[in-house]
This record gives sequence, C-alpha cells and structure tokens, in this order.
Amino acid sequence: MENILDDYAHTNGLREVDTRLKLFVGAGCILIGIMSQTPYAPLFIGLSLGCATVLLARIPFGIYLRLLAIPVSFAVTSCIVILLLTGGGGVIWEWSILGQPLTVTTESADLALLLMARTFGGMSALYFIALTTPAVELFAVMRRLHLPQEFIDLSMLIYRYIFILIGEAIAIRNAQVMRHGYTTFRNSLSAFSMLAAMLFLRSWEKGEDLLRAMDARCYDGKLSVMEDEGHIPKKALLAVAAYLCTCMAFMVIPGG
Amino acid sequence: MHIMEGFLPSPWWQIWFLISAPFVIYGLYQLKILVNERREALPLLAVAGAFVFVLSSLKLPSVTGSCSHPTGTGLGAILFGPFITSVLGLIVLIYQALFLAHGGLTTLGANVFSMGIAGPIVAWAIYRAGTKTGINTFVTVFLAAALADLFTYVVTSVQLALAFPAEAGGFMTSLVAFGTVFAITQVPLAIIEGLVIALVFKYIIAVRPDLLVRLNVLTEHAVERIREAAA
Repeated sequence: MENILDDYAHTNGLREVDTRLKLFVGAGCILIGIMSQTPYAPLFIGLSLGCATVLLARIPFGIYLRLLAIPVSFAVTSCIVILLLTGGGGVIWEWSILGQPLTVTTESADLALLLMARTFGGMSALYFIALTTPAVELFAVMRRLHLPQEFIDLSMLIYRYIFILIGEAIAIRNAQVMRHGYTTFRNSLSAFSMLAAMLFLRSWEKGEDLLRAMDARCYDGKLSVMEDEGHIPKKALLAVAAYLCTCMAFMVIPGG
Repeated sequence: MHIMEGFLPSPWWQIWFLISAPFVIYGLYQLKILVNERREALPLLAVAGAFVFVLSSLKLPSVTGSCSHPTGTGLGAILFGPFITSVLGLIVLIYQALFLAHGGLTTLGANVFSMGIAGPIVAWAIYRAGTKTGINTFVTVFLAAALADLFTYVVTSVQLALAFPAEAGGFMTSLVAFGTVFAITQVPLAIIEGLVIALVFKYIIAVRPDLLVRLNVLTEHAVERIREAAA
C-alpha cells in the first residue's frame, strides 16, 4: 500500500514524453487487445509493453512481476469456470461432480486461453499508462476533453488527499500494531474499525481546514490551474502508429 | 470485486458503460447543483472520496487468508446518497485501476455499475428503510453495508454469466457457477465489512455525532437515544 504505482510514474524513464502519446499507446493497445479474436495480438502487446515498461521506463523488473500477479487469482478462478461451462468443438476431458457433468472442450479451452491473453495484454497496457503517466498529467487531458469542471476539481482534490490519508492510516496502523492491536481476529476487527472511523473524522476535519484555506484565497467554486501546451514530435507519432499497426497485424493471424 | 482489464468481451463492456452512464450523469448533475448551492460541499466530498479510496486499499482482517479489501462505497451511500456516491465511485475506481492495479479501463463501466451504483443503492435503500421502521441503528448499518457488498458480488457474477453463458443451461448455470466460486471469499468479506462499518458508525457517534446530524444521516433525537443507551 505504501508504494502505489503513481510513485514510480513520477520518476520513470518516459516521464518527459508527451502524455497524449502515452495515453494513445495504452488506450490503443487496450482496444486492439479486446477486439482481437485470437490470443496472439494480446500476447504480443503484453510482451512488448512489458519490455517497454521495464527497459524504457526503467521500472524494476521484480516490481513489475509482482504487479502482474495481482490479477492472477481473479483471472484463474474465472477462467476455470469458463473452461468447464462453455462448450463447442471436440471434448478433451469429461467427468462429473454431484451429478453435474463437467466437460472441457477445444472451444472452451480456446476461450479460456484467449481471456487469459486478453487480461495479460490489457493489464500490461494499463500498467504502461499507470507507471509512465503521473495522475497530475491526466487532469490536463481531462480538461482538454471538456469533462465537467466539478468532476475534474473533485478528482484533483481526491488525488491530493489520498496521499495525506494514506500517511495517516499508516501512522495509526503502526501505533496499533505496537500496542498489539492485530494479535487476534477479534482485536484486529475492532482495531481496524477504530482506524477507519478515526480516518474518516480526521479526513473530515482536513476537509474543513481545506475549505478555510481555500476561502482565504478567494475560492468561488472553481479551481484554475495553469498548464502549458506541448507539441508532439512527428517522429514519435509515426513510431507509435507503426507500433499499433504491428499489434493489429497480429490480429489477422488465424487462431490455432 | 473488480473485473480485470480485458476480461469482458465486446459487446458487454460497451453495454455496461451505457447502463452506468445515466446514473453517473445524474450524479454529476446533482453534484453541480450541490456545489453551486453550498460551496463547502466540494472539499468535504473530496476528502470523503479520498477516504473511500484509502479504506478500499487497506486489507481487512480476513478469515480465509485471501486478499480482501472493503469496498467502502456502502458507507459513502449512507452518508451522501447513491447518485453522488456513483460519481465518487467512478473517480475512486479510475484511481484504483491506475494506482493499485485493481480493475481496468474497459471494464470500468461494469465495475462502476456493480460497486458504484448497485451496491450503494442497496445500502442507501436499506439504511433509509431501517431508520423509518426504527430498528437499532447499528443493526441497520450492518445490514446496509453487508447486503450492499453481497449485492455487488451478485451483480459481478451476473455480469460474468451474461458474458459467458454455459453451453448446457445457459445463463443460470453460469450464474450459479460464478456465484459459487466467488462466494468463498465474498460472503465472509461482506459480513466483516458489515461489522466494521457498524463499528465505524459507533466511533463516529461517540466522537463527532454533529457530523451525522448535519449530513441528515441521523436526527438529533436518534443520536441522543443511542448515546443514552451506550452510557
């Protein structure tokens, strides 16, 4: 919890690359991955963006592997269900539990494989965005997309307060651990609730302080932020287009 | 429970975006009115959103040993109503996808529907119904938070079952199968979150009951009754 992905985004090797370009790569890959009917395109996206994240953005390899492990438990349980329930094609394996017939067929195996590949490719694209683009840069893009002002302001303030509250939560938790707060299940339940309640009250008081601070600076319901317009170099744009075309080329490889 | 990036095929991920959109748009509209009427609303909602994010990134004490996080949106719905909670839920889910790698961007629509809309509506409805009938406040809060969690998990199972119906038995068989495998982690989680949120309520009433009165969550009369009972 202490190391959220945004921390890496601020110091990554692709920090200076234009935000729109990075979003274009990430979003493009996510869309190609989800539209692909064969596992090759998502697998290629997963591997290539994984390399880009580790080599170009210089995210430590061990941390990247740990991140990839996060979706595994969800993906594996869901894929097992899909493997056993969906059908079509020849039967590979068959048995029954409690009178319920369970079969693994070629098509269900293909579907499960495709879904695993899509999750791998999609998560890599998501990590590429998350690990190379600090959230602060996203607000500028949101503003350019003309999302409602209140929504952007709310997102910015929430972003700011996440870090303050995480700090408080860690401090409270450490204090509780030192006083044997989490030794038994019963203890941890009450300690955790106390932590959540105090966190809520602390954050509320912080909110009231924030309001006073904003009032003192003539807050009128709008937060104005300055930002500079950048230009995307043509070469980079071409490189990205070429990369996305390569990804799309993998879509037409016929499935096995 | 988050559906991971890339897991929902077309057209389901687009459909869930379309279903979630009206709720979020109405929530944004309510937010705009609220912010124009009461300037102090924005900073307070912001800290509430940050609180929901931090709460959902903490690990709950768990029995099964699996990684379990509270959703926190049940508490948000009790405090702010379901529509504004859906906007907070959207922002929190985007941050969860980008900062913690929970969920994804194409599956955002489906996740917003299960965690930011369906769960909070249940929590809010149960809380309102409970306060009207005069059942013990803590029991009501427990039920609201626990059932909101359970409903979220049922909705996620429905979303997966619709996208991947079984060959024999179709949607219902799939639903039962997804429901069963996720029940192992989700049912204990719902009960624990219910207990935790009820205890959170107890601590808030003990320290700052005026907040709850101001948010119209409890009447002053109810607070006095609870404090007398505790004393």
